[in-house]
Amino acid sequence: MDTSGGRFLLYVCLIAWLLAVVLPFGWVIVTSARSTEEIFRAPFGWPEDWSGSLGANYRKAWVKSHFEDYFLNSVLVVSSSLALLLAIACPAAYALARYHSRTFRWLLVYFLSGMMVPVQLLLVPLFFQYKDWSEALTVALSPLFAWFGQNHVEVSLADSHPGLVLLYVSLSLSFTLFILTSFFRTLPTELYEAGIIDGCGEFRAFWTVMLPLAKPGVVTAAIFNFIGLWNEYFLALVFINTDKYKTLPLGLAAVSIQANYRSDFGLLFAGLVIVMLPTLVVYIFLQRYLTQGITLGALKG
Amino acid sequence: MSPHRAHQRRFALAAVTPAFLLFTFWVAWPAVKGFYFALTRWDGLSDPVYIGLENFQQMVAGFSAEAGKSAKLFPVAIRNNLILMIGPAVLILALALCFASAMRSRVRGASIFRVAFFFPNILSAVAVSILWMLLYSTSGFGVFNALLGWLNSGLTALGLAAEPTFKVPVAFTDSKILAWSLIPMIVWTATGFYMLLFLAAMQAVPETLYDAARVDGASPTLQFFHITLPLIWDTVVTGMVFLLIAGLKVFDAVWVIEQQQSRPDSNTLATLMYSKIFNEYQAGYGAAIAVVIFLAVLLFTLVTLRLYRKEALEY
Repeated sequence: MDTSGGRFLLYVCLIAWLLAVVLPFGWVIVTSARSTEEIFRAPFGWPEDWSGSLGANYRKAWVKSHFEDYFLNSVLVVSSSLALLLAIACPAAYALARYHSRTFRWLLVYFLSGMMVPVQLLLVPLFFQYKDWSEALTVALSPLFAWFGQNHVEVSLADSHPGLVLLYVSLSLSFTLFILTSFFRTLPTELYEAGIIDGCGEFRAFWTVMLPLAKPGVVTAAIFNFIGLWNEYFLALVFINTDKYKTLPLGLAAVSIQANYRSDFGLLFAGLVIVMLPTLVVYIFLQRYLTQGITLGALKG
Repeated sequence: MSPHRAHQRRFALAAVTPAFLLFTFWVAWPAVKGFYFALTRWDGLSDPVYIGLENFQQMVAGFSAEAGKSAKLFPVAIRNNLILMIGPAVLILALALCFASAMRSRVRGASIFRVAFFFPNILSAVAVSILWMLLYSTSGFGVFNALLGWLNSGLTALGLAAEPTFKVPVAFTDSKILAWSLIPMIVWTATGFYMLLFLAAMQAVPETLYDAARVDGASPTLQFFHITLPLIWDTVVTGMVFLLIAGLKVFDAVWVIEQQQSRPDSNTLATLMYSKIFNEYQAGYGAAIAVVIFLAVLLFTLVTLRLYRKEALEY
């Protein structure tokens, strides 16, 4: 496309796509500052009363439709999942990349095969496994609770945040180990050996020498998992029923049903902005790491 | 064994054990059990009854002409999944390859395009679905219907049409056509990711090849088909499989736009599975659908490996 005509057409296409991507967000943000009555009366106008309708819509979404709870739940579930996931996956990935015994080679294949398993296949077994395990845990822990003077305490993994966190961590392991092992493999072993000669134990060599070197890989893994878990809907839908435990995607879907039912679209536009805005902010700061991660993946094939 | 080696071994074992336990009990073991449940009739409460391949026979029976209403659900879901696999794959591969080669040829503001095009990818599928549900709305604020309306009045004003060309409002999210309506949404969301994927692969192609081609007088189109495409072929195949697998697993968009209910005409395999398990208490049949999804993923992956270039390219 060296001709100027082709060049011009190229820019037209790129700018058209840019507008197609950006304009819907502008539309949602502007409309979220208009009352439902206004939206129906004049669908495509500018907000008549910026601060008034904006405040009303967002207050209703944040407080009355419980977005404050959903938001907090998402922060809690995702941050604890990420912390636990990295605490478990980093040492495992390091060991898998570092030691080449036959057992460890098979172990890596075993872990990575999990990337082929669709979450749907796990749904039925996990759902009913959670029921059985909850009953077993209740029985097993009852002496402990009785000792604290609490009879009839029921432990439940289903419909609880710890249960969801366990699911998120386990189901993210394969992908995370895939990223982290390929990162640890690229690190030079000389530094590790120098550490050992200087008298580090294996753990110290991992913790103070190798892990800091793998930081870019750990950051990439953390970001991809953050995005995946922050947006996760299917498992949360299956395992969380109680409204006060719902995460943001689950809450937004529920509010969309209410809003459609009551024709309260001002509320829905505001809810949508509440869900999209944090992602946008995170993206602006971290997009460099994201595109790097994809580049890395593409070159590995 | 030296004390150091023994120490090393203990550390390595301790490091992988937690991951091994979690993966085994929460992924590997349930996956095996999933295959077993697919061979049972089970309501989720009483004990599962082994029935062999009956669940799968029931799916196949749905394709016969005299199949009942309930048996027809499975073929409809398959049809919807095929629409959601093929439509987006074709459009996204074409668009992403165009955009990526444009970016490679150094356009101005490339980084702005890159950052903006990729953004919809990291939004939750729920938010994207609701955004498009609002864009498609038949109420006054539905952008697409408004555009069609303006097009109508524009055409009549110009005297190109005597009466409205499009019957507005179009119910884009009607169950019967929902799968088709989701294609633009998926293209809008995912194109940026595949553009970055292909761009990264293209940037690894040495510039000298293009210089040589230019000296020989090859046009940009010729360069694309004879240099770029063959050299990034493996990445294109990978992208295609990602798209097919994603189309196979669509759940969120259909479930959210259908207000969290299963409708016979808009079901995908995943939503059909969900409603079989949790609305009709047919956990065995639901597990069987999941096995179908797994086998399809496996098949795509194996076919991909065959489509990869046989020998590594040296350049």
